[in-house]
Amino acid sequence: MIRSLLLSTLIGASLLLASPSHAALDVVATVPDLAALARAVGGSHVEVSALSRATQDPHWIDAKPNLALTLNRADLLLAVGAELEVGWLPKLQLGARNPAILSGGDGYLECAKHVAMLDVPTGPIDRSMGDIHGAGNPHYLLDPRRALGCAEAIAARLSALDSAHASDYRANLERFRERLARAQAGWEKKLAPYRGAAVITYHKAWVYLTDWLGLAEVAHLEPKPGIAPTPRHVLKVLQTAKQKRVAVILQADYYPSKTGTLVASKSGAKLLELRTGAAFESGQGYIEHMDELVDALARGLSAGATR
Amino acid sequence: MSLSRPHPRALLSLLHIVLLAALAAPAHAVPQQPVDRDQPDGADAAGPDAATPPAAPPTPTPSTPERTPAPQPSKNDEDSAKDNPDASPADANPNDLSADDLSDDDLSDDDLSDDDLAELEAALAADQATLADSRPAEPPSPATSPQQNLAAAAASLLPDMAFIVDVAAAWFSQQENLQTGAHDPTQTGFTLQQLELSLGKTVDPYFRVDGNIVFSQFGVEIEEIYATTLALPYSLQARAGQFLTRFGRINATHPHTWDFVDQTFVIGRVFGAEGNRGLGFELSYLTPLPWYVELVGSVTDAGGEASARSFFGSQSLPVRSPLDFQSTLAIKQFFALSHDWSLLWGLSAATGPNPTGYDNRSDVYGVDLYLKYRPTDGRSDTVISLQSEWLYRRRQIARDLLTDLSGYIYGLWAIDKRWSTGIRYEIGLPAENSTGERGADYLDPEWVETRHRLSAQVTYRPSEFSRIRAQAARDQPPSVGGDPIYALMLALEFNIGAHGAHAF
Repeated sequence: MIRSLLLSTLIGASLLLASPSHAALDVVATVPDLAALARAVGGSHVEVSALSRATQDPHWIDAKPNLALTLNRADLLLAVGAELEVGWLPKLQLGARNPAILSGGDGYLECAKHVAMLDVPTGPIDRSMGDIHGAGNPHYLLDPRRALGCAEAIAARLSALDSAHASDYRANLERFRERLARAQAGWEKKLAPYRGAAVITYHKAWVYLTDWLGLAEVAHLEPKPGIAPTPRHVLKVLQTAKQKRVAVILQADYYPSKTGTLVASKSGAKLLELRTGAAFESGQGYIEHMDELVDALARGLSAGATR
Repeated sequence: MSLSRPHPRALLSLLHIVLLAALAAPAHAVPQQPVDRDQPDGADAAGPDAATPPAAPPTPTPSTPERTPAPQPSKNDEDSAKDNPDASPADANPNDLSADDLSDDDLSDDDLSDDDLAELEAALAADQATLADSRPAEPPSPATSPQQNLAAAAASLLPDMAFIVDVAAAWFSQQENLQTGAHDPTQTGFTLQQLELSLGKTVDPYFRVDGNIVFSQFGVEIEEIYATTLALPYSLQARAGQFLTRFGRINATHPHTWDFVDQTFVIGRVFGAEGNRGLGFELSYLTPLPWYVELVGSVTDAGGEASARSFFGSQSLPVRSPLDFQSTLAIKQFFALSHDWSLLWGLSAATGPNPTGYDNRSDVYGVDLYLKYRPTDGRSDTVISLQSEWLYRRRQIARDLLTDLSGYIYGLWAIDKRWSTGIRYEIGLPAENSTGERGADYLDPEWVETRHRLSAQVTYRPSEFSRIRAQAARDQPPSVGGDPIYALMLALEFNIGAHGAHAF
């Protein structure tokens, strides 16, 4: 008798505890691109939010307490990984009091583990090399092939967390795969004439894009990753820009533009300040954002090449 | 194992186990099959697929997670067995014929006493922990070699460690200055403020441990060493060990995150040179309200000249009742006013015994406010913040009551990633007794006037890991006829090791 009473209490309690999770899965992404991928794959079965905006430098997000509250209610946390968020995400994960989204939890997905990384150090590293990430360069979302890898990992994880809708996630993924393949073919065609073009970037955040499109990164405005440009270094970059007839200088639009403007004006290269993530808040998807980015790149490269 | 012809009571017991396990360890796989007790713990962990539940059935059913067309969760999934429909053979295929090959003897009610249940849960818990630890690493991606993965895996078992070095040069206009902080520059000349070793790592899925061990020229001091729970339900979190209490905003922070070279005398006066800390226990709760509201309560020992000076302080008096501990309560609220503007507001109270007489108590009430502007929609690295904290203290002494108020306010302006500057004003009113007389303060008998200090600093950061800071201050002492004390400080800070996360 006591046993069945206890049992019914337990059932009641577990139903009570379980009830909120019957709604759509609450997915939280650290950056808007991952949020956009999650929305594409999750469709109507997920509620997606992003901890940062595309206009923010993802290395330097404030660990605002309200973000911990967002994570407290999350079923799945999507992180870029490779230490991109090391300066702020661990604080939020710990403060969220949600064991599922802790690193190693079944509600935590570090997408870097599902893509082939570039710039993985092959020898010992130390910070005299700048802010080097041992797991490799974390800016892989600018390469659609790797973004697809993330989408696949997200679909697999969503299916695991919400098996009832696994077939929907699979179908969404396939739809996204097809759309992306079509778009990617267009992007590659549009930028094919510029293969081998010399470019300078501000931060080493473009290696995946230049790797994908076959552009040649000849210099970086930052002397070392994470170290702001210094006059002596910029002078060297300027010389390189002139020698190698650099077409464009690429930089995320959250970096200061003075140095880039200077080098551009002195070398004749074109400074492109690009939004590096999807405007997820206003509903922009990954493909739409890449469309914009490729267009801007094509315009810049054509202007830079015909100077 | 078959559930196709379940004994009703067996089913009930199974449900019971499932519920118990779900409640006891929500993060854990539901034990839908008996543990094979002959199997040594962790034997499966070495297997190729972490998604295989511990003690797989002897005959693999078609749905065991070999390689099915269904999307598989990554091998990194914690307890993916729970969520992967393919990983729970019993439920996925109730009519599976091959399942009949398996014995369901273990599930009969007779065999499942409460002891068995406890044993089962313990065994499962043990297996889970082993699995979590020895989960195979991710297969090498095309860009990494196995050696690198191995090295990374080995490194990831070590605690995250960072050494923070703070050295300073200072000049004071008077030999007798009133610096309160244990790590402040206190004399004209050079000071090794501290060498802080900060350590932290998850212990297991349930705890992490963090420590701050400070080496000075005079010895080693364990500033903080505490365990934090990771998996308490209901948005609760507990800490146990030695920790800085979360009274107000600045108290829980360490010198290397301070915005000025020295400790604010508000904290030094009320709590002591090291800030309010102690051995004890803390429980905090993140409320389910739509905005961030966190409740924090802690009980710590009330002794320590440098850490609980308004309580038992330097006198290590015995604990006779729970009232002889220091109790601290705080409520922290955060308002995201917009993408760019944030407001943090805290209310705190601490109460504990003081040594001035039997059952005499000290109470400290605090309010703190932090307003921050940091644009998120442009390339500006500007950060402007305003922080203020006020402490009102009441101390019972023999047949009287002492009250006083101290507070600080400072503004910071980060011009870009490298340059920032700030100005701070601190005030400490003298303690007065119930008739408004001064001079009865047993801790600071000479504090009979209002102390004011104004400080300004300029900081240059070559990188995220180094800092150069110059600071100037004018301090008006609270003693009668005290001349102002001027101070200049130049402080260097270097951080080597793990990249710590920045608190808001």
